[in-house]
Amino acid sequence: MAGGGSLKEGGSPVFDITPHKIAVCHLVQVFALHTQPDMPFVFQSVSHHHRLGLFLFSLTRSCEGFLEPSLEELLNQLKALGGLAMLSEHLISNLLVLSSPDDLFNFFDKLRGVLAAPEGSSMEEEQALLDPNSHLGIFIRCCILTFNMLPFEGVCHLLTNLVAYCNSNDSTYEMAEDDDFNGSEFHELLEDPEVDCESAELEEYGLQNDTQAAENLTHIPSKFLSSFLEDNQASDSPRIKHGDDGSQSGGLVPLLNNNFRTDDNLGVLRSRWQIEGYLNMQADLLEKDAISFPLYSFSATLRQLQKLAPELHRVRYLQYLNALYHNDYLSALDELHCYFDYSAGMEGLFSRSPSPSSEFEVGRYETALLCLGTLQCHFGHPKKALEALTEAVRISQQNSDDSCLAYTLAAICKLLSEIGISNMTGIIGSPYSLGTTTGLGTPLSTQQQLLVLLKRSLERADHLKHTNLLAFNHLALAKFDLKHVKKPLLSFGPKASMKLRTCPTSVCRELRLSSHVLSEFGTDGLLQLNDTGSFSTSWLKNLSAVGNPWLKKLQKPRSLSVNDYDTFQFYAQPSPIPGSVLQLAGASYLLRATSWEHYGSAPLVRMNALVYATCFADAASSSELSLAYVKLIQHLSVFKGYTEAFNALKLAEEKFSVSSTHIRLLKLQLLHARSLHRGNIQEAQQVCDQFGVLASSVTGVDMELKTEASLRHARTLLAANQFSQAAAVASNLFCTCYKFNMQVENATVLLLLAEIHKKSGDAVLGLSYVLASLSFCKTFNLDLLEASATVTLAELWLSLGSSHAKKASSLIYQALPVILGHGGLELRARANIAVAKCLLADPSYLVSEDPDAVLDPLSQASEELQILEYHEMAAEAFYLMAIIFNSLGRQMDRGLIISSDTELFSTVSTHGNFHLACHTMSFQLVYTSV
Amino acid sequence: MSSKESYRVELRSAARQLSDRCLYSAAKWAAELLVDIEPDAHAPASSVSASASSSAASALATPSTSSAARPLSHLHPDASAYRRRLRSAAASGDIAATPPAGVSYISTPVPDDDGLNSDGGNDRYLLAKSYFDCHEYRRAAHVLRGQTGKKAGFLRCYALYLAGEKRKEEEMIELEGSLGKSDVVNSELISLERELSSLRRIGSIDSFGLYLYGLVLKDKGCESLAVTVFVESVNSFPWNWSAWLELQSLCTNTDTLNKLNLKNHWMKDFFLASAYQELKMHEEALKRHECLLGVFRSSDYIQSQIATALYSLRQLDEAEVIFEDLLRNDPYRVESMDIYSNLLYAKECFSALSFLAHRVFLTDKYRPESCCIIANYYSLKGQHEKSVLYFRRALKLNRKYLSAWTLMGHEYVEMKNTPAAIEAYRRAIEINPRDYRAWYGLGQTYEVMNMPFYALYYFRKSSYLQPNDSRLWIAMAQCYESAPLQMLEEAIKCYTRAANSIDSEGIALHRLAKLHSVLGHSEQAAFFYKKDLERMEAEGRQGPNMVEAMLYLARYYKSEKKFEEAEFYCTRLLDYTGPVFTSQASESHLVTSCPLPVKGVAKASEISLLAYVKLRAMGSAQEE
Repeated sequence: MAGGGSLKEGGSPVFDITPHKIAVCHLVQVFALHTQPDMPFVFQSVSHHHRLGLFLFSLTRSCEGFLEPSLEELLNQLKALGGLAMLSEHLISNLLVLSSPDDLFNFFDKLRGVLAAPEGSSMEEEQALLDPNSHLGIFIRCCILTFNMLPFEGVCHLLTNLVAYCNSNDSTYEMAEDDDFNGSEFHELLEDPEVDCESAELEEYGLQNDTQAAENLTHIPSKFLSSFLEDNQASDSPRIKHGDDGSQSGGLVPLLNNNFRTDDNLGVLRSRWQIEGYLNMQADLLEKDAISFPLYSFSATLRQLQKLAPELHRVRYLQYLNALYHNDYLSALDELHCYFDYSAGMEGLFSRSPSPSSEFEVGRYETALLCLGTLQCHFGHPKKALEALTEAVRISQQNSDDSCLAYTLAAICKLLSEIGISNMTGIIGSPYSLGTTTGLGTPLSTQQQLLVLLKRSLERADHLKHTNLLAFNHLALAKFDLKHVKKPLLSFGPKASMKLRTCPTSVCRELRLSSHVLSEFGTDGLLQLNDTGSFSTSWLKNLSAVGNPWLKKLQKPRSLSVNDYDTFQFYAQPSPIPGSVLQLAGASYLLRATSWEHYGSAPLVRMNALVYATCFADAASSSELSLAYVKLIQHLSVFKGYTEAFNALKLAEEKFSVSSTHIRLLKLQLLHARSLHRGNIQEAQQVCDQFGVLASSVTGVDMELKTEASLRHARTLLAANQFSQAAAVASNLFCTCYKFNMQVENATVLLLLAEIHKKSGDAVLGLSYVLASLSFCKTFNLDLLEASATVTLAELWLSLGSSHAKKASSLIYQALPVILGHGGLELRARANIAVAKCLLADPSYLVSEDPDAVLDPLSQASEELQILEYHEMAAEAFYLMAIIFNSLGRQMDRGLIISSDTELFSTVSTHGNFHLACHTMSFQLVYTSV
Repeated sequence: MSSKESYRVELRSAARQLSDRCLYSAAKWAAELLVDIEPDAHAPASSVSASASSSAASALATPSTSSAARPLSHLHPDASAYRRRLRSAAASGDIAATPPAGVSYISTPVPDDDGLNSDGGNDRYLLAKSYFDCHEYRRAAHVLRGQTGKKAGFLRCYALYLAGEKRKEEEMIELEGSLGKSDVVNSELISLERELSSLRRIGSIDSFGLYLYGLVLKDKGCESLAVTVFVESVNSFPWNWSAWLELQSLCTNTDTLNKLNLKNHWMKDFFLASAYQELKMHEEALKRHECLLGVFRSSDYIQSQIATALYSLRQLDEAEVIFEDLLRNDPYRVESMDIYSNLLYAKECFSALSFLAHRVFLTDKYRPESCCIIANYYSLKGQHEKSVLYFRRALKLNRKYLSAWTLMGHEYVEMKNTPAAIEAYRRAIEINPRDYRAWYGLGQTYEVMNMPFYALYYFRKSSYLQPNDSRLWIAMAQCYESAPLQMLEEAIKCYTRAANSIDSEGIALHRLAKLHSVLGHSEQAAFFYKKDLERMEAEGRQGPNMVEAMLYLARYYKSEKKFEEAEFYCTRLLDYTGPVFTSQASESHLVTSCPLPVKGVAKASEISLLAYVKLRAMGSAQEE
């Protein structure tokens, strides 16, 4: 348990007795023996006593840093508890008394009296002694044991450290830095090339003044004392003031400072258990929001830790993660290999129990390969990633490491689903290949292989009771079901009749199954890992925040997504569910949003995205969270127009840093759509080009981005009336999508092709495309897209002549429920205009009889289009309305229309659509002549 | 001549000054060099000592023993062939005794010892020095407290530094096993740094003080400042070899080396030569050392450096001659004998290696080099456990012993203890990240574990550090070629690189030919087979590869309808003096069962015979 965790691990030296522990022991003694007559210290109230107990508990469990707090900090925290001022003096005086080895012996001898006698012996007095099996009891026992095992040299070391520890208290808090002492340190820092970046980084934080930056730099080493994150946040004004004050009053305390320094160098580490907690916490934070971790200073922290505890190889893993999330390929690769060179065979990433098994193990190298694979995947080298992962499969089979195999399979699935690989042969074609073991003679397509793998991975995860993995696999299956039609694997023999459609219910089922993690994580053994002392950490942090009011002010929401707990609430604890479980559960909501996006239900998209953004923000990584925001903003742009969307985007940009790719993409998307609607072709083309640049140049990587870029390119060309070019781009895109099996995208591309032909006036050709698109939509249950395609179909029929008006209107009425329920502004407007056109084209309909049947949809469409700033289409609506008014003879209304129309006319005529412009012009001429 | 004479004067005074300040190893180095200067045939020994005594400031103590007695001793007739060769080259060629034209060394004045303020001070210094000599460092420092002279100040600081170092070593063992890493620091560093930096600021620091300051800075990790300080130190007193060595250890690449602002003293040549050696620029190192040999004709140090460079250039026989010579000259030498043992290991000279091991064992068994030699011997004998034991001992004595870590890794690989091997290699890399052998070892280990893709990273690293080594490229190619990967195109690229650098074993050409034939590039395959055949002919080798090449070529030309060539190869095949074969079927059968083992045995017996002869020769030399 807890404090003594390391003792179990073969007497690893990380749990050693340190001055800080002596101080804590002393406090525990006071806490336990306060009723005894010979204790000089008396608590003012019971609540004080309890608070001290809670404080001690947190102190031995918290993991906000890897170094033990100095006496200074300890005293400050004690002070923050309130009402225990006497206790600090008591503590100091008692620590100062310990001046010879014998004093220490006596101290620990007395400490033994704190522990209650084991059961069975008589309890003479009514004493509140510590239960030896309680957390604090175990801590005390560990300390006593470690002390008793110390050789004389160890006792001497302890004594020296103790003196240094007490002296550190005497030096002023504002760590005055002696000039030349710091000079060397500073030099050393300057030597490293990284420091330049560091100062640049600091400047980014708003430190324009060079000297200030330098001042700040000198503080970095001393900053290791406490949590890195916090200090970085607090590094603005107060810190610098401290430094200035110190240098003014410097010269007084250099010696003490030196003592402090040597002490620092000796490195008073927390217990191994606490350090591992710290590392896990940092890893989580890194994954969540890498941007808040400046690359170099964090790696400097880690290096310091590595120097102090070289046997903690986990630090290297953190280095790897740090490099990975900062996109430093080379050093990530180096650190990865380094970590596994040292730790493979010793430390497994997936070992359930926190303590590694003691027996000598040759293994875990497969984990190295798995990590290498994911690294290559992260950096967009799919081929290398696949090589690494296949090797991982081979080695885990060789070492019969089932869990690693399951994870590797899942990783391969992820890779295959994310990265477009048109042809699998030659990649997994080796004798150890995955596909051939299915026993089917025919080569499988990538998708079929993926499905087989997914199923197998799912089975394996289920078999091994890896709940997380199971959830992940269900999610992956859902994703697969969403986008792919399941074809029979057998290419011969009797075929069961199969509907070649995707099945929304199966997607839904998988999604529901994946959410099971929430209910089942308790049985997974994850629970014990969960207890990493983060509760104690947050409690202590709150305590210090209360102690220093200025710090409280600085503690703005550090990480954008952390729920803000009230500062001084003992009950404010972080969620009891492990972050990974929450993440998976959240991911299922995000996927739900995406699937509804496909199936075409806007309200459900919005709802799921909202659920994600509000409930899972704690565990979500910044990129996933930004994705949810993106969905919400997209929804806004479609339903409320661009002004609102851009306002929301501004908020999102503030919340996430600018470098978030999702947000950047969203901005481009919005800009592009708006400039297309406004008819600003040049701007649209520029945005389009920016889009293309964002995608990686490697084939098969960033497929979605590439598809979208060329889709937008085609749209831009279409808006510029360059039909043949637009058609060429679109058909090219169709070929790529077909090659990489992206059928959902195919539906969109086909629809676009139909639109192009419609606009170019080739309605017959357009018909075939739109019908193809419709069949795709049906297959993949893309309802909204289907509705949109139906409208296009109707328009195409209409353009073939008034004889088809009936057919067209029936088509539109068929699609209207979906469109009115879920469609965005543009689609609705289009449908409305089409309805009006159908009526107008219908010979049996007379305008004079029922003008509202035409005017209502038209006016609604024009309103909606104006919100969207879609000038071209709005002009069309107005034009139609004006004609109707003209025929009705309502001059006044017509005049109104014309006046608003002239505005639009100017934009329309500047940007292209001459056809419409001419119409409007002639119409105006007619009007003015009348 | 005058320059030699001035060298002698400088070195003599320097050795005295260094030993006065208890910088023993530097003093040793200077004294060795002093003895090794080629005597001027014309200058009588007496005048040498006379001039020395006149120029040196306080030449009170026994000056003549070293310079007068030895010059005759190394004129004795058993000087080696190599040495003679060099000497004749020096006499005839441009490696003259005087420095080459165009290089003008600036003469650095030999600094005077500062006068001690009083007799009492001098006495105290004497006492302190004797304490120091008895390894009672703190006492020595204590005696010298309050002394103001530079010399006394230096000794006090140096004593404190050593006391701190001693304590550091002790603490390291107290806190952890000596093989463990630890971050114990010398507790005196901070106060020393403070004192020395303030002294440097006011300018009252001499070169020795600067040397010490540099040491402190280096230990603290302020490396760039340490470099400047060391440069200052060697510029004002160039004869302190320890300072040069420290400087060298900080020059981890050629850029820093070239940026150093060094005065052009002849000691700089020693430094550069040694630094080049360390940076694996063996050719340059060799050139410089041979140049220096012109003046310091019989220097063992230079000889050993030359031998090391030759060994690194894989000219084993030449290196061996020099090493043998060295050992004959100075039978109790331990320095750089580990490299000799590596050489003997590479040549598989069992008895010579055992002889060497025995000798160093008797001389000083607690030297890391000795342990390494013994470990090498056991390794050669195939007793890997014992070998590891001795490597561990060597590492206990010197935790930064780079080659021992790597070699221990090799032993662990032999013992199939891969995690230990990996750790050993990693430790070597930690000491020197540019050690390509360790990277290569890591790659091999992973290859053994059947993880060729993973191993590629390491091979890539090592070939990056040593781009012209064909072995590394071949290793990489073999990874690509291995069954799980089957990336033949990449393998071909690597083999091509290997074939372009010197590939002594000729693996690359053969594999290239084979791979091309597998991939159906018959033209390239024929090209490489032909090349391989030419190479084998040039080296006078025979073997199954030859048969294979000729067979392929014959078939190739036949398919190309070039019957003349085909016939040529067919007849050559018939002429081939191998075991009798009649039909093509048996030929191809023969390819698989090669007669190589027999040949290997023959070679081994040859080698052992050779070693025996050598041993006898050595023994007889000793008897003489």
